[in-house]
Formats: sequence, structure tokens, C-alpha cells
Amino acid sequence: MTPSKTAAPARLFTQVAADRQTGALVVGGHPGGAVYVLEGRVIYAESPAAPGVGELLTASGRLAGRTWQTALDQGTSTAQVGRLLVEQGHLTQGELELCVLGATYDAAYFALSPAAAPVEFLGGAMHWLGPIAHIDPAAVDREVRRRAKLLDDIFPDPRVDTAVVTPVTRPPRERITLTAAQWELLVHADGQRTPADLALLLGRAGFATIQELRRLAALGLLELPEVRAEAPEFVRLPRARGTAVDARRPRVSPGDVPTVPVVSGARPTKPEPPPPSPPPAASPPRPPSPALTEETNANGTLYRPPRLARRKPGAKLPKEVASEPAPVHPGTDEVLLKRIRTALRALR
Amino acid sequence: MPGVDHCLQEAMAIPGAVGASIVDYTTGFPVATTGTAPNSDHEAAAAGTADVVQAATSRSLFVSAIPHDLLEDLIITTAGGYHLLRLVHTDFDSRLVLYVWLDRQQGNLAVARRRMQKLADDLIAT
Repeated sequence: MTPSKTAAPARLFTQVAADRQTGALVVGGHPGGAVYVLEGRVIYAESPAAPGVGELLTASGRLAGRTWQTALDQGTSTAQVGRLLVEQGHLTQGELELCVLGATYDAAYFALSPAAAPVEFLGGAMHWLGPIAHIDPAAVDREVRRRAKLLDDIFPDPRVDTAVVTPVTRPPRERITLTAAQWELLVHADGQRTPADLALLLGRAGFATIQELRRLAALGLLELPEVRAEAPEFVRLPRARGTAVDARRPRVSPGDVPTVPVVSGARPTKPEPPPPSPPPAASPPRPPSPALTEETNANGTLYRPPRLARRKPGAKLPKEVASEPAPVHPGTDEVLLKRIRTALRALR
Repeated sequence: MPGVDHCLQEAMAIPGAVGASIVDYTTGFPVATTGTAPNSDHEAAAAGTADVVQAATSRSLFVSAIPHDLLEDLIITTAGGYHLLRLVHTDFDSRLVLYVWLDRQQGNLAVARRRMQKLADDLIAT
């Protein structure tokens, strides 16, 4: 076992493969991952950003969770989970191979694409799935680099790959066309899920997910948090400047009837005359809440209350919402628990 | 037990087959290859294959005429050959296409299409 050091994962991978070693190349950092090699050939790769074989098969409903778990129980210690599934007739060899190949290239992209990350090589480590595919490491290396370029050709902004997915509330043009995959992503993006969460929840490949997200970002359908902060000032609501406004703040007394609550949004340029009579519904003369309304003082100058800063969805919930039980995402929790269980079993 | 390699071997047994591959059409990557590819470059061929499938699935109305109307195959004929693309519909998330290149003189389009249909089905059928 080589001690963990910061290096280019792809470079160490090439070296390990050239030496025809057997073991696991474990990449730290975000998202990190692991690439398993058997005598220099890649047999599997996994990454938190890419759903593994188990997640792909169970999330799609191809295998029942129990079937997958039973195979894990029986085959993990001897590293033949994949073979068991085929022998017991749950999957065809073709399906398993295609699934492993897809998941391996998917995870390899996340594990090997960072320019620098803490990397270590665990000699002799074997994946519990067993050797299903034997992939040429040079092909993996080429594909990882090609995929990075594919993404940059679509929309060269890597923040899309990791940031919480927030669809814009109003599309930037009258007519937009979405693919089925893009629709699925937008419908499930709740302002809290990251691309990795969405991939796991939907049982879709991690790379395919961020590929679609970059396309959506290129169409201007996703909010990019940092970009929004730099957005030109004219798209923002005017902000009241602190002390100057406070100094003109009128005294609000309950008997001050002529103060007119102005519907926020409609901003009169000059003070409007008070309505002839207060509406009958508000029979006790209700003082307008000073924080929420615009009003005029005796000088006729318009007082505009400071507006609350726009909150990003889910960034900081107000107390009354936070006190409620957290929204339940059954899919996410289940998948997460399964992954934890799988990881724990692999350690046995 | 027919695996990916077995499937490609069978594809090469189709009369007139020159080369075959299974391509991931979202990334344009050849997952498995055998035989020769146009210009002897399987990866370039896969990228081209992916473009063709993407064009047919996302940018045209061929597949959305009827709800749940799935694309089955794409056939491109050239003076010297036939290029057949058969979509492999797996239950789990994957976007794969079986590609076979046939020699025009020796290949028979109808036979090849039927054989590819069976191959793609056998690959994923239980």
C-alpha cells in the first residue's frame, strides 16, 4: 500500500496499469472514487457521484432490493456477487456486462478526471462484485479525457456538475424544447438536490446527468449561484439604503388613519389621496404594518421599507418552515441507506 | 450464457459483416468492438454513430409520432455497404446501440436486420 499523496489520479492510474498490478486505486476529495484493477485490467470503478451497479439495477426496478441484498450477503465475502446474480437467473450475462461497463466508465470519469487529488493504491484489494468486465486501461484513460472535453464543449462551467440544481423560475425565452431526460431532471430538482443526488434518485448514470445539466445550463434554464451574484444590478429589486431611510421614518400611531397602505409592487410616483372611507372589512382601524408597506410622511416623501434580500431556495429556511418536519424524499433516503449498507458489508 | 463478446461474435457471423460494436450513444463511446471499423477507427465510428442516433431521437419527430413509440433501428446505405444500428433497450438506465457494418455485395439487409433484432433481444432477455 502506497501512502496517500496528492497527485494526478490519471497519472498514477496509468502507472499502476502499466505495472500490471492488482488492487484498488482510491481517490479522495470531491467526488472521489475508486478504480479496481486486476493484473492491469480495469474490472470496476465506483464513485459517490455515479450510481453503482446495485443502484442502477434496483432504482430501475430491474432487480428487487431483496434480490440484490441476498446476492450481496452471499457473494460479498468471496467477491462473486455478479456471478451469483447470473447463475441464479436474475440477470443475463449480457445485461450484467453492459451494466458493469456503463457503471465503470461512469465512475472512472469522476475518479480520474480531477487534476490533483489525494490518491493511494491498495494492493491486492478486490471488488465484491467480482471480475465481470476486463477493460483496457488505455481506453478508460482516453474516454475520461474525451468526456471532460465533451462537457466543456456543451457549456464550459464545471460548477454545474456539483452545485445544487436550481431551475430558473421563468424560462429565458418563449418556447423551449426539452428531452425526456431533461424533463425528469427539472421535475426532480427541488433546489436542494445536487447532480449526484439526482443521478442516484433517478438511477441514471452520473455523467449522463451532468451532461444534460450542462445542456440545460447552456439553454439558460438553470440558476448558477455564483453567476447570479455577479448579475447586473438592473435585474435586482431596488434596495433601501439603511440610515437615510430610518431617519425619515414616520411615527406610526394607531389613530393615524390617512396613511395609505400601498400594494407592494405598484409604486406611485406621487402620494395618492386617501380613499374616501376605509374598507368595511377592516372595522377596527388597523395600523399598516410599517415593515411591509410603503407610506408617505408629512413632507410627502415616499418611504419605501427595506426589502428583504431574496432567498435562494432552501438556503436558509425561516423558522416556521424549519420547525416543520423535513420534507421526505423516500427515494433518496432509501438509496442512501442501501449505499451505506453496501459499504459496511464490503468492509467485513 | 450470451455475454457482450458472444453477441459481437454472433454479429460477425451475419453474412457480409465486416465489423460490429456496441456504442453508448450519449457519450459516443464504443463499449465493445470487434472486426474492422470504417477508416479503421472504432472510436471515431462510435462518435459518428452517436450523432446519428441523437439526431434521430432528440431532434426529429420520427420517434414522437405515437406515445411510447420507441426507435428500433436506423439503416444507412452507401454504395459500398450497409450500416445497421439497432437500439438495445435495457431495463436499467443505459443508452446503447448495436452497430454492424455489412459489405454491400455479400450482405442481405433483411436477413441482417432480423438477426440483429434477435441478438439485441437475447443480450438482455432472461
